[in-house]
Amino acid sequence: MSLIDIAFYFFAILIIASAYIVVTSKNIMYSAFALLFTFFGVAGIYVLLNADFLAITQIVIYIGGILVLIIFGVMLTNRITGVDIKTGTMSKFQIWMTAILCVIAAIGLILIFTQTNWNTALSPTKASTIEDIGTLLLTDYLIGFEIASVLLLIAIIGAALIARRKTN
Amino acid sequence: MIDEIFLSQLKQSVDLFLPETILVATFIIALIFDLIYKNSRYLIAVISIIGLVFSGIFLVNQSTSSAAIFSGMLSFDPFGNFFKILILLTTIIIVLMSVFSKELYEGGRKTGEYYILIVGMTFGMFLLAVANNLIIVYLAIETMSISSYILAGYTKEIKRASEASLKYVIFGAVSSGMMIYGISLIYGLTGSLTFDAINSAMISSDISGLTLLIAGLMIIAGIGYKISAVPFHFWTPDVYEGAPITITAYLSVASKAAGFAVLIRFLKVSFFDSTNYANDEIWTLIGTIDWQIVIAILSVLTMTLGNLVALWQTNMKRLLAYSSIAHAGYILMGVVVMTDIGVTSVLIYFFVYMIMNLGAFLVVMIIANKTGNEDIQKYNGIGHKAPFVSACMVIFLISLTGLPPTAGFIGKWAVFTAVLKSEYIWLAVVGVLNSVVSLYYYVKIFRNMYIRNFEDDSEIYEFSPGTYILLIILAVPTLIFGIYFTPLLDWAESSVKIFLGV
Amino acid sequence: MTINLEHYLILSVILFCFGIYGIITRKNAVMVLMGLELVLNSANINFVAFSRFGGLNIEGHVAAIFVIILAAAEAAVALAIILNIYQNYKHINVDEISNLKE
Repeated sequence: MSLIDIAFYFFAILIIASAYIVVTSKNIMYSAFALLFTFFGVAGIYVLLNADFLAITQIVIYIGGILVLIIFGVMLTNRITGVDIKTGTMSKFQIWMTAILCVIAAIGLILIFTQTNWNTALSPTKASTIEDIGTLLLTDYLIGFEIASVLLLIAIIGAALIARRKTN
Repeated sequence: MIDEIFLSQLKQSVDLFLPETILVATFIIALIFDLIYKNSRYLIAVISIIGLVFSGIFLVNQSTSSAAIFSGMLSFDPFGNFFKILILLTTIIIVLMSVFSKELYEGGRKTGEYYILIVGMTFGMFLLAVANNLIIVYLAIETMSISSYILAGYTKEIKRASEASLKYVIFGAVSSGMMIYGISLIYGLTGSLTFDAINSAMISSDISGLTLLIAGLMIIAGIGYKISAVPFHFWTPDVYEGAPITITAYLSVASKAAGFAVLIRFLKVSFFDSTNYANDEIWTLIGTIDWQIVIAILSVLTMTLGNLVALWQTNMKRLLAYSSIAHAGYILMGVVVMTDIGVTSVLIYFFVYMIMNLGAFLVVMIIANKTGNEDIQKYNGIGHKAPFVSACMVIFLISLTGLPPTAGFIGKWAVFTAVLKSEYIWLAVVGVLNSVVSLYYYVKIFRNMYIRNFEDDSEIYEFSPGTYILLIILAVPTLIFGIYFTPLLDWAESSVKIFLGV
Repeated sequence: MTINLEHYLILSVILFCFGIYGIITRKNAVMVLMGLELVLNSANINFVAFSRFGGLNIEGHVAAIFVIILAAAEAAVALAIILNIYQNYKHINVDEISNLKE
């Protein structure tokens, strides 16, 4: 086993274990903290996949932005933090059925995906992807870049509008 | 790298992108005016209308040629132009409707952002109508969705509106999550995200059918959510009932139009043999997956469930929600045909559907302005209290059923002829049976309006002249297009060309 | 055994199914949102893995960046709506909000 293999298995186990806690924990704060480790593990996977810029973006936006937002959401919708919130109203049977169906779906998808011939090619080794990403974003994906900026403006206006307190 | 060719192409792209640019400019100008004149009631609506009309002028004047703009990210073609004009007309009518909405202005609510977000949503739908790349589709769907999530909950202190908005955002986010997973699989299979590049990858290499089916279904789930096709429709009744009526009407027409535009473009450009396009009538599927069957199943489920559940509804908004699900099913029948005739019928049906559905929602809105809710019991005796409004409602209902001499008949006729010309005769039979079922619930409204008449006859409802003008604007075309429909046919036939790349 | 495309795909499928499981079984709206983030992350792993093994095609990276941007925008709007619901109802369990039922 090379070092890269060990790193992959480390991150994979980190992601799977923490994702398991995210979806099963009864305490919403535990779920939020487990999500932190999932995001961190995914950032590690990006590094292994030669995506340095994305790994940084993942940490800055997912952990620094979205996760903080979610934790604020948890705290603002519960007056006392860290207290168990009733999280499940499904019966045990329904939850087990869902779990079994998800496992079957996962096995099915894995079987199909390992049989699929994906589009692959030999990859050149690159020191960094930042320059290529920047060029692509401002040439071919220029319009996507512009749409994203309008979209973020809409989201800011909308979120401020909906979340602000009633004035009258 | 950036060079002269790229810059000249960019300049051409920006020229063709003018209608959208005007929308963004309107969005920003309206935002600034909203900050300065905080308490004006109609100013932002007026600014939005001016911007929309300007955008429309440039849209109509644009040449009918086809081109790939912004490095093939968007396809500029008559097909996209048709949907853009349709979306723009809907938006203008909705803004005019909103000005008369009592629900929206209740309690001195600020409505500046409402019109601003409508303009933003229009921008998203414009892009969806011309998007030629899966990532742009995803971005445009999200631009449209995020605006509509907020608009659905705009009357935020009303519980049912905030609830509608929560359901819409949670399920919408999940469906777009599925969609992006499907997009990532398509990227893995073909190594590309642009529709025409996907097409050439499918021709040149052997694509695993099962994986393609899963990826395609996931993407159709994301689009199907927007056009509320069964089984992705479950949000529709709740959101349509909870959202302000104007937004319900908007979602039922404009966002469906954008969804259908992208569905047809995605299927046609990605999965049909473009090398054989000399003969317009025949589209040849490539790959092993028969997408026609997939869409046919969706269509049957959608119209049957929509019509059957509509029979039990007692709330007008809910009833029209299920009716709009059923209409999405009829339109999907036109998509199943997958020929130019099929696409023409979809365009005709959509134009007709826009007029009659907006008309029906307008009547529901002005009745709700008087009675305070949309319960079907409130329609008892409306025929005597508001004769003109009821007469218009009858026209819209006849049209929604699809009976002559209204525009609805022309739409149904176009779709059924297209289906009969293909090998899907059974689909046409299911469609006709469904239309018969739909007659029952439309007649129920009619019966409540005219035949059931209790309480006091003395009260006559008065409406503002503006609402009458809007009603006439919608009711007259519903009748005219039922008799003189040649211009509509010509326009649809000339708009059927989808740009396929070079 | 070296790590290849299949390993990353299996990881992404597992993450995707965890996300779907969370979305279906959780009733708290914030929890559903967390499940959704898992789904988006699994799609992103796909994009980056396909990009890496498909000749370092940077298009996949750009797609992943857009997904991250949209996840942030969506989370912001969803949480604003959840806060508004909380002010109206004082709880955020999706199935307890049932003014709108057949």
